[in-house]
Amino acid sequence: MTLAKIEKLDRLVEAGVEARTAEGGSLWHQSLRRMRRSPMAITGAAIVGLFLLIAILGPWIAPHSSTAQEWGDEVFLNRNIFPGPRAENWFGLDHLGRDMFSRMVVGARQTLLVGVVATLIGFAAGAVVGGVAAASGIFGGRWGQRIESVIMRSVDVALAIPMLLLALSIAAMLGPSLTTVMVAVGVAQIPIFARLLRGSMLAQAHSDYVMAAISLGVPKSRIVISHIFPNSLGPVIVQATLVLATAIIEAAALSYLGLGNPDPGSAEWGTMLADAQRFLAGAPQLAIYPAVGIIITALGFTLLGEAMRESLDPRLRREQ
Amino acid sequence: MALLEVEDLRVAFGGSTAVDGVDFQVDEGQVVGLVGESGCGKSVTSLAIMGLLPRQSKVTARKRHRGGVTVSGRARFEGKDLLTLPRNEMRKRRGQELAMVFQDPLSSLNPVVRIGVQITEVLERHRGLRGEAARKEAAHLLDRVGIPDPTRRLTEYPHQLSGGMRQRVLIAIAVACAPRLLIADEPTTALDVTIQAQILELLKDLVDSEGTALLMITHDLGVVAGLCDEVNVLYSGRVVESAPARDLFARPTHPYTVGLLKSIPRLDLPIHEPLHPIRGSIVDVIRWKDGCAFAPRCDSVTEKCVEGEPALVGTEHAHRCVMAEEIA
Amino acid sequence: MSAETSTPTSTALLEVEDLEVHFPIRSGVIFERTIGAVRAVDGVSLSIGAGQTYGLVGESGCGKTTLGRAVLRLEEPTGGSVHLGDTDVTALRSENLRRFRSRMQMVFQDPLGSLNPRHNVEMLLAEPLRVHRINDRAEQRRLAEETLDAVGLPTSVLERYPHEFSGGQRQRLGIARALMLRPDLIVCDEPVSALDVSIQAQVMNLLDELQGEFGLTYMVIAHDLAVVRHLSDRVGVMYLGKIVEEADSEEIYENPRHPYTKALLSAVPQPDPEVEASRERIILKGDLPSPANPPSGCRFRTRCPWAQDICAEETPVWREVAEGHKVACHFDRFD
Repeated sequence: MTLAKIEKLDRLVEAGVEARTAEGGSLWHQSLRRMRRSPMAITGAAIVGLFLLIAILGPWIAPHSSTAQEWGDEVFLNRNIFPGPRAENWFGLDHLGRDMFSRMVVGARQTLLVGVVATLIGFAAGAVVGGVAAASGIFGGRWGQRIESVIMRSVDVALAIPMLLLALSIAAMLGPSLTTVMVAVGVAQIPIFARLLRGSMLAQAHSDYVMAAISLGVPKSRIVISHIFPNSLGPVIVQATLVLATAIIEAAALSYLGLGNPDPGSAEWGTMLADAQRFLAGAPQLAIYPAVGIIITALGFTLLGEAMRESLDPRLRREQ
Repeated sequence: MALLEVEDLRVAFGGSTAVDGVDFQVDEGQVVGLVGESGCGKSVTSLAIMGLLPRQSKVTARKRHRGGVTVSGRARFEGKDLLTLPRNEMRKRRGQELAMVFQDPLSSLNPVVRIGVQITEVLERHRGLRGEAARKEAAHLLDRVGIPDPTRRLTEYPHQLSGGMRQRVLIAIAVACAPRLLIADEPTTALDVTIQAQILELLKDLVDSEGTALLMITHDLGVVAGLCDEVNVLYSGRVVESAPARDLFARPTHPYTVGLLKSIPRLDLPIHEPLHPIRGSIVDVIRWKDGCAFAPRCDSVTEKCVEGEPALVGTEHAHRCVMAEEIA
Repeated sequence: MSAETSTPTSTALLEVEDLEVHFPIRSGVIFERTIGAVRAVDGVSLSIGAGQTYGLVGESGCGKTTLGRAVLRLEEPTGGSVHLGDTDVTALRSENLRRFRSRMQMVFQDPLGSLNPRHNVEMLLAEPLRVHRINDRAEQRRLAEETLDAVGLPTSVLERYPHEFSGGQRQRLGIARALMLRPDLIVCDEPVSALDVSIQAQVMNLLDELQGEFGLTYMVIAHDLAVVRHLSDRVGVMYLGKIVEEADSEEIYENPRHPYTKALLSAVPQPDPEVEASRERIILKGDLPSPANPPSGCRFRTRCPWAQDICAEETPVWREVAEGHKVACHFDRFD
């Protein structure tokens, strides 16, 4: 065997290996890489990114005040005169003579806050409920299984209550406020997260690597925390993105029903939508701006969530 | 004339090549084996012949599958190239002249439809049999593939049958129209050894009595030895050795074939005979156009092996190894 | 099978006595009742000498995997006992059992599925050490590198994740993890059946080498008779929850006595057309009966080509037909 031959062979093999190791990295890295190639993910991320940017920078980039009734004297409610888009006010004026564009920009933050906090409440509480149920079902023996079935039956009951009704009753108990909306929408999502996480954890519990961990003598609590739980999170995180979209819509619905922030001056898309209802016939644009805002944002999160689900679960994609 | 003649078949999924110029032929009534390990392209070859790969037009916009599946080359069946046949004509041939049996009998059967319906469906579509006639023929077919009490089985669902029985049902469906060529893709891999023996016996019997040609796709050299007349050994998307079965096993020429035969434990050799594995793994390959794909794992590799594409040499017993003469 | 079965040798490391694993079949939605049991393992006795390899062969559904898991207490036995050295494994409870697991390990069939996809090699190999209180990072690292070297993987793989390896390499990782605690016994459940043909031999040779290097005792569970023959010193053939024949590897393949063993051996296709052409096959009829309702008498009688009336009436005695060669069949010759 000559040296020259070995060199060439090694070079050729290395070229192949390099091409393959471009696919390396942890599962999260790989998912991220797959997402960067998906047009759905890019669109979703662009919408969400823009929304985040507006939400964070809102007060600084809004051209006018969102609360001051600067052009109050130009709006005549009884004659249905609402000045439309013009150079100074891109989206026109609302019923109190405030700049609609500025209100949309500033309102994004509230809307995002509601969505994120509500989702976090649902996610966290749901994860605890579902995680406890799954963990006791998997490792708790006979008693654990009873605990699990009690928890899960309660979750089923909660699931059977229409989400809006549940949110409404919670909102009624707490009185109208932004916190109420967040809690109501968040609580309504708990059963969904709980079910999802439990199902996902039960599926993981039957995998060989859990059996391997048991055979290594890994304590049960550690198996749940470091093996089963992290591997079950994928679908739940995806669900969180999707829930964020519905949470924004739900929050808007609750605000629309008058359960949101009672301060009429504050800018929030849901409240704006509710306010616009009175002038729907004469000035539909007042409803259209916040409605379109909500729809596009929800769409952005949904696209992102769907793309994440695909990239986290390549099997799903191949079957399609 | 050959019944099926595959020439320079190439299949690529996006940028990665799965089949890289496969040539072989199947004569009337012959049993031909395509042997190789996972990723050698044997299954993709069969899917391409059957026209079961998604066509380019159907490919989604996802970038990973950019360009989708590209198939080139020729697969002439009775002189007609199956790869360029219009879809509806291909559909007509599939099931009637060409039939296929897959590895996993459970997922190949519709779980919510009775066995009888799944068989008579084929009989109706391809042979125009209806009602009682179709049912009778279906029962006859089940009987033919060795399923006891066939009339009762017709009313059962796939999950009520064992794995071996399901595979028999699939074979019954495949041979329902007396196809000229049957393609079996790892038909016994999912089955136990005693059930595998039953199925192999059945296939052998069908070939002998009906004169059906069989293209047997498998990784198991034992199955090949017992069943096939001709064998094609695939490595990394190409045929590396092709010969009559007896010849191949008696005088394996390509180092890959030799290596495979030396690496499997055998019941007919002295016990605890040391095994001689092939080193490396199937991912250690180089592209065929740069040299022999097997070179990185080959013990007899020399610089000649990486000087361009090795050609398939020989007619009766062909091999794709530039060093074959020297090694022998 | 009766208790007089096994004659424990003084050096036996693993002693399995009359082991039973029955899974209850439950019915009813609100009030669950037990209406029967799947007798996955139904009275199995065997012993494995230290440093030896015991091969357990049988078809799917025969209970071999359940038996292997029950030996490791990954499945709860419903009867019988398992002794590893002086310890009664079946009597160990919670924390004691968990600690004892360092002495017995398992290698799985599916090398990818048995490795946590979110743990890299270093975490994978360090975990068994951590849970058994070897907390020194340097020591962990040293043991991991030493073990990787033993299974033929470079130490540079420590940062990589399971999906970045080929099937054969993954199985090496699985073996490395099982070796980290330097156990006495390793149960290998179909260690090569998920691997490509050219890789199987690598892993089999590796198992051979490691046995010498680390003084391991193996229980190899497989459906492939050639694999079991190659790896094992002693072989047990399992059918429907029971061992029907047991002998030294050479003896059982040269001189099979039980009709089921004969049928199994005759069914394996050999990679040689000459052998194939002359091979006499015993084609068994039908399928495996349900282990929830095994046939009376000899369990194999429903598929046995030589079955007589007595086979349905009497359970065959587990008897020694030659030195170290035991079989559960009424007959000695089959013509």
